[in-house]
Amino acid sequence: MPLCAAAALPHTPQLLVRPETEDRDMVLRVHAGYAQVNRELEAARPDVICVLGGDHIEGFFLTSVPALAVYVGSTVSGKFDRYRYTFDVHEPLARAILEQGIERGFDLTYSQDLALDYAFYVPLHFAMPEPRVPIVPLYVNVYLPPQPTPSRCYAWGQALRAIFDARPERVALLASGGLSHFPGSLRYGSPDYEWDRQMLERLTAGRGAETAALTGEELDKAGNVEFRTWITLLGAVGSAKASVVCYEPSWHHGNAIVTWPV
Amino acid sequence: MALHYTFPPASGYPLNRCLYRLKSDDAFRDAYLQDPEATLREAGLDAERIAALRTLDRDRLLALGAHAYLVFMAGMRLKMTTAPQTFERF
Repeated sequence: MPLCAAAALPHTPQLLVRPETEDRDMVLRVHAGYAQVNRELEAARPDVICVLGGDHIEGFFLTSVPALAVYVGSTVSGKFDRYRYTFDVHEPLARAILEQGIERGFDLTYSQDLALDYAFYVPLHFAMPEPRVPIVPLYVNVYLPPQPTPSRCYAWGQALRAIFDARPERVALLASGGLSHFPGSLRYGSPDYEWDRQMLERLTAGRGAETAALTGEELDKAGNVEFRTWITLLGAVGSAKASVVCYEPSWHHGNAIVTWPV
Repeated sequence: MALHYTFPPASGYPLNRCLYRLKSDDAFRDAYLQDPEATLREAGLDAERIAALRTLDRDRLLALGAHAYLVFMAGMRLKMTTAPQTFERF
């Protein structure tokens, strides 16, 4: 069955834990953007939500660093401060992605026991429809070099789309991350908002395929290492023209919420 | 311009492991807040690394092989534990 929804959302932890360093009105505007995606997901009635996320060295520490991975358990849990969360996992779809992904030449890692990072949790905290549906966490390494190349991420997205199209489930695909931010770097207070705005223009024009030609170095310099999850989603949605739900630059983060017609 | 997120050298592994545990391991973070010096020493860090970590001296930590994101989130999680009143403000 074809995709029933596609969206990219930030997971900026400050949107969840609301420290005094943040602009309240800006945070609430992003919350309103999440609420719009929540309504769109409820209308789309997915059977499963696949979430492309970049682990923040939480589920995978330096003990093993997969480029691309699939979580294939029955449930998945994690925590971030007082937030404790558990999601059912759609095991049949997760297993199909793993097995067919391998058949298609993607040497995937899988796990049945990982702490779920907040990169997956934050968008679901705000946008999970009622009644809740199971998820499939799809990992793209973004923070631990060497990361998968943009062209590889795009190709993986194309493969995911082919796998979804042959499945009976209604699948919603979310990309978690971005846009520009530099956590832990000297540039934390000066994200590259101009890069973000130019990219959003390209995506609204349906030029997502161009992102496969980006380089890892360019993503790092723009504070957009996490954009790899978006590129993967773009492989799945092709030339669909993005709608920007919101772009809200904070003092440290270009918060973007984008949906695609599918 | 140097990249912001670079390959973590093996020499930085013990330091990165401590940063990871401060970020994600509640018991380790609590032990650190009780007795930072002893907790980091038992975790295998030398005096130079303990000093850099205790002051969260980013430049020094990065020079010692720490991963930038781990420095950021270890600091944020410590602050969330020691100054919870500065979060959930609205």
